[in-house]
Amino acid sequence: MKVLRSTALLALLFLSSTALASPGAPSGEAKKATSIDELAKKYDSTGCKQCHEQIYNEWEQSIHSRSIFGTGRTAATIQTTVSVGLMGWKYSGVKKPEDVQVKHLMICAKCHLPQLAEATDAVAKEIVKNVYIYTDPKASDDARDKAVAQLSKVNINCLICHQRNAITHKWVDGFPEKDTVYGSKDGEHMDAAHPKMKKSQIMDESILCGQCHGLGPNLELENPSQCATLYASYNMAYRAEGGQEKCQECHMIKSKLGHNMQSYRDPGMAKAAVDFKVEALGYQWRDGAKMVPQALVKVEMINRAGHGIPDG
Amino acid sequence: MPIPLQLGRGDKMGRGPYEKSGILRDSSLPPNRPVNESFDIPFPAEFSKKDGKSVTKVLDHNMTIDVELMYLPFGTKESGQFTWQKVTKKVSIEKGGV
Repeated sequence: MKVLRSTALLALLFLSSTALASPGAPSGEAKKATSIDELAKKYDSTGCKQCHEQIYNEWEQSIHSRSIFGTGRTAATIQTTVSVGLMGWKYSGVKKPEDVQVKHLMICAKCHLPQLAEATDAVAKEIVKNVYIYTDPKASDDARDKAVAQLSKVNINCLICHQRNAITHKWVDGFPEKDTVYGSKDGEHMDAAHPKMKKSQIMDESILCGQCHGLGPNLELENPSQCATLYASYNMAYRAEGGQEKCQECHMIKSKLGHNMQSYRDPGMAKAAVDFKVEALGYQWRDGAKMVPQALVKVEMINRAGHGIPDG
Repeated sequence: MPIPLQLGRGDKMGRGPYEKSGILRDSSLPPNRPVNESFDIPFPAEFSKKDGKSVTKVLDHNMTIDVELMYLPFGTKESGQFTWQKVTKKVSIEKGGV
């Protein structure tokens, strides 16, 4: 009887845990990447180039393709985050660069490399090691080149926007599936690794970009960080005032940049972003008995972007 | 740009993303709202007194004015600045007159 009761209890527990698991929820058992190379392989999007060559080439020109190196400033900022921030804080648990764990690096990686959440601390340490080599003025050119190459292997690629981050409301729309790419329609997808294609509810919505491009402080972190505040500005200062356009309309479509999403570094985007009118008038002002020749310069600036500029 | 608040407390600006949490003030251009600035720029001139009267000797009646909208993503005006827009205007004041 006792054995039967135990069996029934075990069965009940098993049923309960099965019932609680969400359909499509990411498996907690998925093996975590233990190196940059493994993480790159886990999110390998090189196969996309075969059919989407133009889009892939555009993306390669974007900063998304080197999101933890950037123009070099991103890597340097990760280094100061470790050396000035983490190593300077009493309770961070980081006394030296080798102490950095995934949770520490998520200060930056939440946006610059969100898939780091699916990696072990060894990957965080490898990133930090390479960032230190890149920023070390005594490092040889060869060592720095190798560090940059290693850091550039992981990035915000096709599978981040079109899979991992393609669904924001997972209780409503389900969890992203590893065999599926998310875009503008449902159907089959001619790729052995990703044979399914599903319509993402947010692929053409600003919230897709807003996941990384800034609400303000990331208060969900044990020690919050803040980079961009663009999405907050977009919502509070643009949409709230009647602005209608979405990020993709300016940064991809009107600009004709496609997946080479740029901001002020693109001359066309910079010009379109700000109306800049200047009027100048020469006149002689009478300061008591003295005539003072001077020019009046009047400048009117209207920001035509859907958010405050600059941001940072 | 949004001037970030260090650690979300007090009155100090934070610099690195790791210490920024909030906004102290915002000097960025807001979307769709005109922002106007005006500048008074003196022409090169020498001022003196002659027979008890103020005399202004204008050294150049013409001036070329470059107006640049700059963004300093990092560093200083001398290094790392980005010139967003630039307009050049020529201004003159009359010679002679009453």
